[in-house]
Amino acid sequence: MTASGLPATTSRRGLAWGLALGLPVLGYGLRGVAIDAARTHPAELARWVVGAAVVNDLVLIPAAIAVGWTARRLVPSRAWAAVRGGLLATGALALVAWPFVRGYGRDPANPSLLPRNYGAGLVAAVIVVWTVVGSVLVVAEIRARGRRRGQCR
Amino acid sequence: MSRTSPAALATSVGRRYRSGLHETRTAAWLGVALGVAFGVCFLTGVWSHLAQDPPSWFTYPARPAGLYRVTQGVHVVTGTATIPLLLAKLWVVHPRLVEWPPARSVLHAVERAALLPLVGGALFLVVSGTANVARWYPWTFFFPRAHFWAAWITIGALVVHTGAKVGATRDVLRSPARTTSPGPATPGADDEVPMDAPVTTVGATPGDRRAFLVGVAAASGVLAVATAGGTVSPLDRFSVLAQRRPGVGPQGLPVNKTAVGARVVELARSPDYRLVIEGERAERCELTLADLRAQPQHEATLPIACVEGWSASARWRGVRVRDLVALAGVDASRAVTVESLQPSGLYRASELNPQQVADPDTLLALEIDGRVLHIDHGYPARLIGPNRPGVAQTKWVARLVVR
Ligand code: HEM
Repeated sequence: MTASGLPATTSRRGLAWGLALGLPVLGYGLRGVAIDAARTHPAELARWVVGAAVVNDLVLIPAAIAVGWTARRLVPSRAWAAVRGGLLATGALALVAWPFVRGYGRDPANPSLLPRNYGAGLVAAVIVVWTVVGSVLVVAEIRARGRRRGQCR
Repeated sequence: MSRTSPAALATSVGRRYRSGLHETRTAAWLGVALGVAFGVCFLTGVWSHLAQDPPSWFTYPARPAGLYRVTQGVHVVTGTATIPLLLAKLWVVHPRLVEWPPARSVLHAVERAALLPLVGGALFLVVSGTANVARWYPWTFFFPRAHFWAAWITIGALVVHTGAKVGATRDVLRSPARTTSPGPATPGADDEVPMDAPVTTVGATPGDRRAFLVGVAAASGVLAVATAGGTVSPLDRFSVLAQRRPGVGPQGLPVNKTAVGARVVELARSPDYRLVIEGERAERCELTLADLRAQPQHEATLPIACVEGWSASARWRGVRVRDLVALAGVDASRAVTVESLQPSGLYRASELNPQQVADPDTLLALEIDGRVLHIDHGYPARLIGPNRPGVAQTKWVARLVVR
């Protein structure tokens, strides 16, 4: 805590500038939502925005922390950084792939829309991700051994 | 009543975040990347809005022909690639959620209040954008409008946040990274919240930070490649989450709205089809399909560039719109509204500004790659023009209204 009543990472002057420049922009957006209410459905939109933050903070990030906590204990610490990257890529791929795999948007009259087998694609992408993670680890291990041997002899 | 004070509770919760990456330096790096990514999405998004709904003071340019396909492709791919960045950032700063007291001053309360539109808005933009590309609409609002106005709200909140954090970001990124590890994040004094401690006492090792940021960048790259193939055709094989495949569709071109979906099949196939050209200053004329075919024909290679980020090029052949307008005795200095046979729908008509009308490649196309248009591509005649969003390339054209 700083004497200014702001966190150490917040600058008072910067915040003042940010408010001066940002609030009109934010206000313009709110005004747009209100003026366009017939198409923006403000109450529903607000539920989505607030809901996204709440679900992220109370579900998604805690779940990621739990997965990380568990995986951290199963994986040797040398391998952790690469595995963590793999987990993030896998999670993000799975989230984005979800509506495609479920095929909510398919239209029988329009086979050119969503033409792929997205489930198989997701599996393939995840395999590629973990193949890369594995290769990174193998290369790092070979290098580390080479270095250790170099030091010994 | 509980015997633990909220402050002690917050501190003890804060301590449970064991990773050294819950630190200012990592938050700042990810912040800079997010600022760039959201900036790119905002500019390209506003551009797309101007293309579809230009205000009176703005003339959307007819050239370069492939510009919109690039801006909108960049918009969708960047937005998707931002997801790992955003998740990483929100994970890094998650300990901040349980700060106590929640606000230390009025100004601090204002700063934190702006985080709700920032975080909620940013997540809403990527979630709604992705769902829209997957054609999944689990809501009742009109996506383009909700997404557009939410973008202004989010960017406004981002400017507030950037102002607040720009000083710390600059300091942190200029100061050299520590080379020794302090171990897991352990605040020095009891009353300190981990994230608020100076970066030099709490944090990750440079090696771990670099590895983390490289991992985040790699995850973003994976998502970019997984979606870009709908517009960057060489990536098609790898783009397992793309909404389209180049070459897949009637006559080798993807279709957005089908003739069945637009309820135009009978009207489009009717021998009574006429193209009507009219307007206050125009002499009304009616042309049959045979009349249209008898007009001088021109060819242009132009992309269909969908707002949903995919694009595909084709060779079109048909009558120049400016020649058609001339038939009605009007020069090409006027705007034209292009109307479809479609009985209803938001996109049943589109506007051509005078620059677009005058462009030699703005065609009422009758053929694609040497064949009569498939009905899903707008048979008997469709609009195709340079640098236009796909929704404004009106199909099954029935009327040109000169303004
Ligand atoms: C969509 C974009 C962004 C989102 C969603 C976001 C989100 C957040 C959140 C929720 C916090 C925690 C704030 C608190 O509780 O006090 C934070 C902190 C921070 N952000 Fe951002 N941010 C974004 C962009 C940026 C940008 C562009 C910068 C750089 C100018 C930046 C730099 C920082 C810094 C330095 C911190 C402080 C970390 C600390 O306290 O140690 N962020 N961000």
